Amino acid sequence: MHSNKYVTVYTVIMTLVVSVVLAVVVSGLKPIHDDNAAVYKKREILKAVKGYLGSDLDKMSDKEVLDLFDKNIKQVVIDANGKPVEGEKAEDLDMAQEEKKPLADRHYPVFTFESDKGTFYLVSIRGNGLWDKIWGTIALKDDFNTIAGASFGHVGETPGLGAEISDNPAFPKQFEGKTINEDGKYVSVAVVKGGIKKPAHQVDAITGATITSKGVTEMLDRGLRIYLPYFESLKK
Amino acid sequence: MAEIATQVEQEKEPFFGKKERKLLTDPLSDNNPITVQVLGICSALAVTTLVNKAFVMAIAVTFVTAMSNFAVSFLRKGMPKQIRMIVQLVVVAFLVTLVELALKAANYPIWKELSVYIGLIITNCIVMGRLEAYAMANKPWRSFVDGIGNGLGYGVILIIVAAFRELFGKGSLAGFQIIGNTPDYLIDTTKNSFFSWYMPNNMMVIPAAALFLIGSIIWIQRSKNQNLVDVS
Amino acid sequence: MRNAMCRAAHTSYLSPHTFIKMGDLLNIFIKSVFIENMVLAYFLGMCSFLAVSKSVKTAIGLGAAVVFVLTLTVPINWFINEKILGPNGIFGMDLTFLRFILFIATIAAFVQLVEMAVEKFSPSLYNALGIFLPLITVNCSILGGALFMVAREYNLAEATTFGFGSGIGFMVAIVVMAAIREKIRYSAVPPALRGLGIAFLLTGLMGIAFMSLMGINPGNYMTHH
Repeated sequence: MHSNKYVTVYTVIMTLVVSVVLAVVVSGLKPIHDDNAAVYKKREILKAVKGYLGSDLDKMSDKEVLDLFDKNIKQVVIDANGKPVEGEKAEDLDMAQEEKKPLADRHYPVFTFESDKGTFYLVSIRGNGLWDKIWGTIALKDDFNTIAGASFGHVGETPGLGAEISDNPAFPKQFEGKTINEDGKYVSVAVVKGGIKKPAHQVDAITGATITSKGVTEMLDRGLRIYLPYFESLKK
Repeated sequence: MAEIATQVEQEKEPFFGKKERKLLTDPLSDNNPITVQVLGICSALAVTTLVNKAFVMAIAVTFVTAMSNFAVSFLRKGMPKQIRMIVQLVVVAFLVTLVELALKAANYPIWKELSVYIGLIITNCIVMGRLEAYAMANKPWRSFVDGIGNGLGYGVILIIVAAFRELFGKGSLAGFQIIGNTPDYLIDTTKNSFFSWYMPNNMMVIPAAALFLIGSIIWIQRSKNQNLVDVS
Repeated sequence: MRNAMCRAAHTSYLSPHTFIKMGDLLNIFIKSVFIENMVLAYFLGMCSFLAVSKSVKTAIGLGAAVVFVLTLTVPINWFINEKILGPNGIFGMDLTFLRFILFIATIAAFVQLVEMAVEKFSPSLYNALGIFLPLITVNCSILGGALFMVAREYNLAEATTFGFGSGIGFMVAIVVMAAIREKIRYSAVPPALRGLGIAFLLTGLMGIAFMSLMGINPGNYMTHH
């Protein structure tokens, strides 16, 4: 049995050594971690306009992704009323953090992607799936009505059930060409199971995760609605 | 005095002799940590849906078992008995944090996918199991070899399970697309009439598949080696 | 005009965080007990699950100890994560790189404290639970609970519910498993499959059975209808 003094000194030294070494490693690697995180986030956003990039997103190098983002994408941050906010960068916005704020104080990112195939508006949405948080990026064409592409993600540790919204490429693909307005009125796009009745505004639910579909529908309806005032102001 | 004694001892024994070789190869077959010692089934099986993930996990676990075995064996004499477990856990948690930081820098998407499972290496029973069973009673170098052996033995099972799950569940192997219903795959089932019956087996993707596969591996291993059969 | 309408529509939509959603908590509970059971869906705590599931009585003991420790350590680690490690914590900087070390040290220290307290104040409880407590520190489901809680961005109420639910989930799984293993001794299992092998197959089957409960969805009805 060691004395209490020995145990205390041992613990203090161990704690110091461990935290100092880790602090040094962390500060050394931080720039790399930040760069990696930025590239990862930008790839996630670009997934929504995969078909319009001119090359395969999966095969693009990190540098190409960053260059593309710098050159062809304009970033705007809007507030809850759809007014642009000065001095903030959309890529720095964390939707998870925004969600913790009161509704009126939240900010939202808009990425405008200009390509030779047209201008696209990429917006971020976030909501609750049945069991976990879900999120997505929706790319709208410059009529602010037609969806050019979509990508989804979710919190989840085991790929499998419910993961299909992000893992199964067939699901987001369905959104291409759907419209969010009907006769000038916002109707969003719904995920339905067992037969689509309005092909312009509905997509088919994913098998195996039909219940998550409700969450996706809700997220789309609420999430896209936030950006409508901003789109209106752009139309003028 | 004690130092001299250990030096002499080291000189007598070869650096990498029979004992070390046995330490390295035993866990790969008859003393496999997963199928025989029943350790480390915990977290890491959830990463066996894809070979790439399993491979990264296997390397991470091997690194942690080897280094923690080494460190704990090195510290074992001065370690206060009262807080032995906490000291061991801090050593392991420290190493796992290093692994996580390194992986986050080296391959961010894989780090993102493995998410909490990197952290769960800390409580992977293999790590603590080997610390208690081997490192606390043996010299650093041998403990290190023991750690490598057990890490590899664990990794082999992980990769076998992952290969089955990925091939039959997703039609690919280590990301290489082998069989599926688009032209991206090596065997395009829409064109190749011989394989037109093929459908990816979704059951392989669910967690239970990993358990069935390990159960089967144990079955095969024990049919071949009667000594391992559970008599209770 | 249209702008105003849109704004009205959007502000009237209640944020998910402006009212307490009991349904959400119930959802988390059901999910952690059945659908995303620590053992059956994530393999966490598998070692003790296989080692201690030979008799129902000991399984109940270990299960109860896990419920107790998970219910308390998940909220404790939640505080550590928010108030010490997070950028809004007392140090005002991002110390999340110490997360693993602090979490596991907290769990180990907590388990040791509980062991000492139980031994001192309730010898009978100690006799029932005490032997399981040292096993619990390295039970993956305890650390897993804390790490999942962070990954899923739970708030305090959700984290506590999740901890409790995961504990119950572990207990249900291990007790059911022990009951099956008590009976399977009388079955003609092939020799090479006896013991561990059949236990794996059974766990897989149980996992599938639990997963098919995914269709139940009480929380959703409470929140959306």
